[in-house]
Amino acid sequence: MTDTTTSPPETQPDDGKTRSGRPSLPLLPLGIVGAVVVALLLVYTVGGKDSGLVTQSIVTGLLLGGVYALVSVGLTLIFGVLGIVNFAQGAMLTLAMYLVYQMVDAGGIPVYVATLLAIPVMFLFGVLVQAALLNKLTMADNEEGPLLVTLGLSLLIVNVLLMIFGGRPKRVPSSVEGSFEVLDAIVSWERLIAFAGALLVAGALTLILRGTSFGLSIRAVSANTQGASLVGIDVRRIYAMTFGIGSACVAVAGGLMVPFLSLTPTVGEQFTILAFVIVVLGGLGSVKGAVVGGLVIGLVQTVGALYLPGTGSLILVFAVFVLVLFFRPQGIFGVKQ
Amino acid sequence: MKKVSLAAMLAAGTVALAACGSGSSGSGSDGDIMIGSVHPLTGALAGVGALMNDGAKLAVEDVNADGGIESLDGRKLTLGEGDSKGAADTGQSEAQRLISDGAVALVGTYQSDVTANVSAVAERSRVPLVIDVAVDDSILEQGYKNTFRIQPDATSMGADGADDLIALAEANGKPVETVSYIHIEGAFGQSVFDAFKEQAESQGVQVLKEVTYPGTNFTDATTQVREAAAGNPDVIVATGYYPDQLLVAQAVKALDPDIDALYGVANGAFDDGSFPNDAGAAGENVLSANYHYGATNDEVADIRKRFEAEFGRPMETASVLSYQAVMVIAQALEEAGSDDPEDVRDAIAEIEVEDPLLAFDGPITFDETGQNENATVIVMQTKKGKVEQVFPDEFTTSEPVYPAK
Repeated sequence: MTDTTTSPPETQPDDGKTRSGRPSLPLLPLGIVGAVVVALLLVYTVGGKDSGLVTQSIVTGLLLGGVYALVSVGLTLIFGVLGIVNFAQGAMLTLAMYLVYQMVDAGGIPVYVATLLAIPVMFLFGVLVQAALLNKLTMADNEEGPLLVTLGLSLLIVNVLLMIFGGRPKRVPSSVEGSFEVLDAIVSWERLIAFAGALLVAGALTLILRGTSFGLSIRAVSANTQGASLVGIDVRRIYAMTFGIGSACVAVAGGLMVPFLSLTPTVGEQFTILAFVIVVLGGLGSVKGAVVGGLVIGLVQTVGALYLPGTGSLILVFAVFVLVLFFRPQGIFGVKQ
Repeated sequence: MKKVSLAAMLAAGTVALAACGSGSSGSGSDGDIMIGSVHPLTGALAGVGALMNDGAKLAVEDVNADGGIESLDGRKLTLGEGDSKGAADTGQSEAQRLISDGAVALVGTYQSDVTANVSAVAERSRVPLVIDVAVDDSILEQGYKNTFRIQPDATSMGADGADDLIALAEANGKPVETVSYIHIEGAFGQSVFDAFKEQAESQGVQVLKEVTYPGTNFTDATTQVREAAAGNPDVIVATGYYPDQLLVAQAVKALDPDIDALYGVANGAFDDGSFPNDAGAAGENVLSANYHYGATNDEVADIRKRFEAEFGRPMETASVLSYQAVMVIAQALEEAGSDDPEDVRDAIAEIEVEDPLLAFDGPITFDETGQNENATVIVMQTKKGKVEQVFPDEFTTSEPVYPAK
C-alpha cells in the first residue's frame, strides 16, 4: 500500500471517526452489538436449553473471544496498515509460545514474566522480518510478494520449531491454575487473564495510535504513503515498527494462551484464518473492531455450538462473516470507501 | 529430425530408467530387503509420526542384530522412510515411491484416510501393507487382499470399551446405568461412538447425550462437558485426539460434575505417557479403554528401555505397534523364505505371532479381511501421575480406583 492510487481507503488505522470530518454515526456497530444481545436473550428465553448451560457458553464464548481478539489486534495493524496478508501470523504466535515455553522450561521463569520478556524479542523479530524481507516488496507496491514471503516464513517457522522441539505436544505448567464460579458458570483464571490481556493490549494500542506522534505517523502512512513520506516521515521505518508492534501483540497472545493450550509446532495455524475473518469483520486497521469482532466470533462459535455442534458452529461463524460483509463491506468499525 | 532424436533420447532414457527400476528390485537376491514405512513426519502429527518411524527403525535394527532373515541366508533388513505429511495424496505417492524403490512390504500410517489410499496402492502393486495404527473399519471393507491390521478396528474398540466399562463398574459394586458421550466429529469418533452405543444399550446402559466437537478451532471444552453432564450421567465417555481430549479432562476437573468416572474409549490422550504430567490434577484417576503395549511383558519393557536410550523419548503404544508391524513382516519373510512381495503376503495371511507386544487376547492372526482376530482393548487408569493397566485382571499393573473421583 505504498501508492495512493491503489491504496484502498479502508486501510485506515483507526476507527475513522476521528479522521473523517463528520463523524459517522456508529449505528451499525451498535446495531450489531444489539443484535448479538437480542440473539442471546432469545437463546435464554425460547432457546429450549438449560439456562446454566447457556450462561456457561456465553462466558466461555466471551473468554474465547478474548483469545481471538488477542491474536487479531496484531494482525489488524499488519493487514490494515501495511496491507500485508500475513499468513505467518499463526506461525509467529506459535513461535512466541515456544519462546515462552523455553523460558519457563529451561529458565524456570514464571509464565507471565516470560510473556513480558517475549514482547521485546518478538517486536525485534517483527522489525527484522519487515526490514529484511518485506520492506523492499512493500515499497515496490508488490501485492503478491509479501503474501508469498509470509507464507514461506510460516512454513520455515513451523518446520524449524519441529526440528528443534519435535512434534510431541508440550505443556507449560501454570502459575494460576483453577477456576471460580460466576452466575453458575465456571471461569478459568488463566483464560480470564488472557481476556484481560486482550483488553489491555487493545487499550495500549489505541493509546499509541491516537495519542502519540508515532501513532500519528502510522496513521499517516496508512492513509497516504506518498503524502506521509513527503512531509518527512520515514516510511520504511514506520513499516518495520508497525510489523514489530503486530508481532509484539502476538507475543502477548502466545504467552497468555500457552498455559491452557497443548503446544505443537502447528498450534497457531488454526487461528490464522479466524484472525483474518475477525479483522475483516471488525474493519481493517481498527483495534476496536478486532476486539468486538473477536468477541462476536467467540460468542457465535460457542453459543452456536449448542444448536449446531461440531463443525456446524464454524459454519455459523462464516455465515455471520458473509452477512456482515454483505451489509457492511468495510466491516463493523471500518470506514466507508 | 530433431524431434526424432529427442523422441529417441526420451525412449532411451525411459529404458534406462526402467532398467534402473528393475535393477533395484532385482538386486534383492543378495542386497538388503527393504521395508517401506509411511508416517506423518512433518505437519500437525509429526510428533507421533516420528515416534512410529523410530519404532520401525528399532525393529529393523533388532532383526539385523539378531542375524537378519535366516531363511534368506541372514540377509539384512533396511527401512525405507516415507513422509505422508499427514495428507492422503502425499502418503499415496510416498508408498508408490517406496514400492518402486523395491520395498517388499509397507507399514503405516497412523491416519485412516492416508491408510485407505496407501492400501489401494499396495493392492495395485501386490505388496503387503501391515497397518500399525489406523482405526477406520472401512479400510478393510474394500476386499483388498494385501492389507492387514494389527490394532483393533473402531467398531470393536467401541464395543469392547463398553463391555469393559460395564464389567469394571460391576466388579467394583457401582454398576453404570447411564452415560453421556463426548466425541470428535468425523468417521473415527462417530464409528467408535456408534459401536459403543449399540453394545452399551444391548446391555441395558442408557446413552443420555451425544456431544460432538470439531477437530479444528477447538480450544475450550467447558460447554461440551457441561452439556454432557447436564443429564447427570453415571459416567462421561470420551473419544478424540490428544490436545482436544486434554481440554475435555481439564473441563471435567473444573466443572466437577457428579459422575463416577471419566472414561476414554480409543482416546488419544488419556493413556498417553505425557497425559499425567500435562493434565496434572485433572488427569488423576481418569480411565481409558484402548489398545496398549503390554506393560506386564518383559520383552516390551526391554524394547521400550532401549528405545528411550536410543531416541531419547518414551516409546508410546503407537510406536510399539510400528515395531510389531515390522516384526510381523520379518517373521513372514522368515517363514516364506522368499523376498517376493506376493510370497510375503501369503505368509502374513497365514501367520501366527505368539506373544504379541500389545496387551491382546492371544497371538496375532489375521482373518480373511486382514484384521487381527485377537486385537482388543484393555483399561488403563492414571494413578499418582502414572498410566497403569487396571483391567482385565491378566494385564493389571495396579488395582483400579472406581468410582474414579
